Amino acid sequence: MTTVRIWFTKTGEASYISLLDLQRVMQRSLKRSGLPVWYTLGFNPHIYMTFACPLPLGQESLVESVDVKTEEEKPDLEAWKKALEPVMPLGVAVTAVTLPQYKAGQIAGAVYAVRMPAAFAEGLDRYNGLSAAPVLKKSKRGQKEIDLKMHCPRLDYVQKGDEVCFEMQLPAGEGLNLNPSLWLGFLQEHCGVDATRAHVLRKRLVTKNSEDFA
Amino acid sequence: MFDPKLKEALAHVQKPGRYTGGESGCIIKDKAQVDLRFAFCFPDTYEVGMSFLGMKILYELLNQQPNWWCERAFMPWVDMKAEMERVGLPLYALESKDPLTDFDIVGFTLQYELSYSNILAMLDMAGIPLRAEDRGEEWPLIVAGGPCVCNGEPLADFIDMMMLGEGEEQLPHVCRIVEEAKGEGLPKKEVLRRIAAVPGCYVPSFYDVTYHEDGRVKAITPNDPAAPAVITKAVIRDMDSQAPPTHFVVPMVGAVHDRAQIEVLRGCVRGCRFCQAGFLYRPMRQRSADKLNEAARQLCDNTGYEEISLTSLSTSDHSQLEPLLDGLLTWTRDEHVSLSLPSLRIDNFSESLVEKTNRVRKTGLTFAPEAGTQRLRDVINKNVTWPEIERTCSLAFKAGYTSVKLYFMMGLPTETMEDIEGIADTAQKVVDLYYANPDKPKGKSVQVTISVACFVPKPHTPFQFVPQDTEQQLKEKQQHLLHSVHSKKIHVNYHDSSISFLEAVFAKGDRRLGRVLEAAYRKGCFFDGWDECFHYDRWMEAFRECGLDTAFYANRSIGLDEVTPWSHMDYGVSHDFLVREYRKAMAAQTTPPCNRRCSACGANKFVGGACFDYSADLVH
Repeated sequence: MTTVRIWFTKTGEASYISLLDLQRVMQRSLKRSGLPVWYTLGFNPHIYMTFACPLPLGQESLVESVDVKTEEEKPDLEAWKKALEPVMPLGVAVTAVTLPQYKAGQIAGAVYAVRMPAAFAEGLDRYNGLSAAPVLKKSKRGQKEIDLKMHCPRLDYVQKGDEVCFEMQLPAGEGLNLNPSLWLGFLQEHCGVDATRAHVLRKRLVTKNSEDFA
Repeated sequence: MFDPKLKEALAHVQKPGRYTGGESGCIIKDKAQVDLRFAFCFPDTYEVGMSFLGMKILYELLNQQPNWWCERAFMPWVDMKAEMERVGLPLYALESKDPLTDFDIVGFTLQYELSYSNILAMLDMAGIPLRAEDRGEEWPLIVAGGPCVCNGEPLADFIDMMMLGEGEEQLPHVCRIVEEAKGEGLPKKEVLRRIAAVPGCYVPSFYDVTYHEDGRVKAITPNDPAAPAVITKAVIRDMDSQAPPTHFVVPMVGAVHDRAQIEVLRGCVRGCRFCQAGFLYRPMRQRSADKLNEAARQLCDNTGYEEISLTSLSTSDHSQLEPLLDGLLTWTRDEHVSLSLPSLRIDNFSESLVEKTNRVRKTGLTFAPEAGTQRLRDVINKNVTWPEIERTCSLAFKAGYTSVKLYFMMGLPTETMEDIEGIADTAQKVVDLYYANPDKPKGKSVQVTISVACFVPKPHTPFQFVPQDTEQQLKEKQQHLLHSVHSKKIHVNYHDSSISFLEAVFAKGDRRLGRVLEAAYRKGCFFDGWDECFHYDRWMEAFRECGLDTAFYANRSIGLDEVTPWSHMDYGVSHDFLVREYRKAMAAQTTPPCNRRCSACGANKFVGGACFDYSADLVH
């Protein structure tokens, strides 16, 4: 059994597909492709799929991936890519099909590009001037307080046209997983930023050694 | 990229995926290259609308024309409606995200009376004037189709043209006329005159309705030479001439029915007297098994669906059902596709059928005896007997099923409290059957759910003449049913009687209800079919303000010779037949299914001869 990693973007229309829906969308896209993917056994056979690091609803990404299995020993990855390209919904573009180099559990961080109207630059300045930015992070195991400043002391933005942009590298993966939405929530509550007008794009996933997740 | 206003609205709403489009199978064209734009509007949520097979059929059909573009629009849920109003975003179609005002034709499907207020809401959200008379040449043509146009009179003020019957040939015909008229620069009224000549097309403004002093309709008269006195529905003579759609737009947000649907037959032979669809879609016509099998396979390949549903009003009445299942089972298992068979009849549910559906996936079983006693089942012509229910449930329990759902109605004509007790008795007997099965799975208990709807008398049925039970009567019957159920294995679901009451008013309503509808919409009524959005008090207020009495429409017997608001609509079933059936119902006499013996309803005029080959054994 071989594991194959399918890389895709999730932008535009597709950024509004939730993880639960994405599983169904991917299941049907794979079925349409006719590729020899492996199905689970049992009463409700379905395609075995593992998504690397799910993205919150509304955010875009260039580096999403899903792992599937196949009984092919040496799958023709270029042929896989060709078969997958035409069966995806708008906003999902297959960028590559590879054999996994790392396990999804080895993801340690992610790089995001954030954009928002230039009017909110003042709010970003206010954040940069704070000594602490405590927020409550909710997870399955309950909630705990974290200081955003510990993870991203400054939001170093540049102005491009009528927007300001900045990048953030944050912990991601199975351990601590922090998303820009925590910052946007804080900025909305304390710094006068309308978080719903911010745009988040995930550009990279990295391992513990700061290598690209591949 | 999206319009920033749309993006902002989406950031504030639940399940934004309902409002983005872009699903696999959705058709994107270059609007500069198309000559006709059609917005197919479903006046309910995305999840409900995306389950609707009719939209898939017509979407594929219209988009096959390279120079036409059919797009979809749904009613945004309450939160999205508020957001769109807040940011100033007009209602748009999902494919291009262009506002409905950019379209040549805006078409609504009328599936349910309580979605009428959503039609007004959708027009309003698009900035389109509600009333036809207020819309000049610059506005799109507003049209409607679907079963409720069989009495679309409550919408007569708002809709330019309604289409009776089946749309596969009719709708492209209408679109061609509009495309040509656009080229010629014809005024709207002339376009409507041309359309009025298309089978089944009804232009409400071409008819005058007069009333008696007591509110009954006196006469319906054409006021335009282009308008026929009677509008006869459009029918597809031979179902094999129309291939079922082989592509679906596959929703990403789970639809209510999210599976490959194959329409095996249209119409129904059974003649259940309460069932409007059973009369509207006569005569029954089926597709051949080999074509269905081929279509199912193509549809699964194109959509990636993992489940096929063989849909129709009564799937087990297909004369080649078993060969069809055998054909499907040759490939579905290998392709990881399961089969589901809704609309099975208790009386011809065979052992091999259980076995065939069993080969794939086991879910609960659902049956609809509709009434609790044999007498009442005879009244409604639901020709199902207790021995048949018993045989079917025993079969199912032997096959390992542990949950059974039974559908009933209350408020049926001639119903007594004894009939209500019969519902509880029937459910109890099914529970007892389970425990009588010596091979029942150890440690597993049975669950019988009875779901009881309130009967709504509908136009074009033999029960169009009968009054609906009052809300008081229905509530008493609901209470009586709850008191008659004594087992914890039986779960009772029943519906809000006031929603069914309003449904009855609009089902049998006349044009004067347009004012009520508009008033109620202005008071904030929409999504009336959803309990959490239904404001009965606002509706009653609207009726009072317009000086119209709800009981006149819902709780009054209609004379057998009375002119009804739908008298000018011909669905092929003669008035004499409806009267005959009504009289037989009152005498608790049954009528056999059409494929066993013709009862001369009149619908065979559409096929030009007998509907069935009575020398062959079609009934199984």
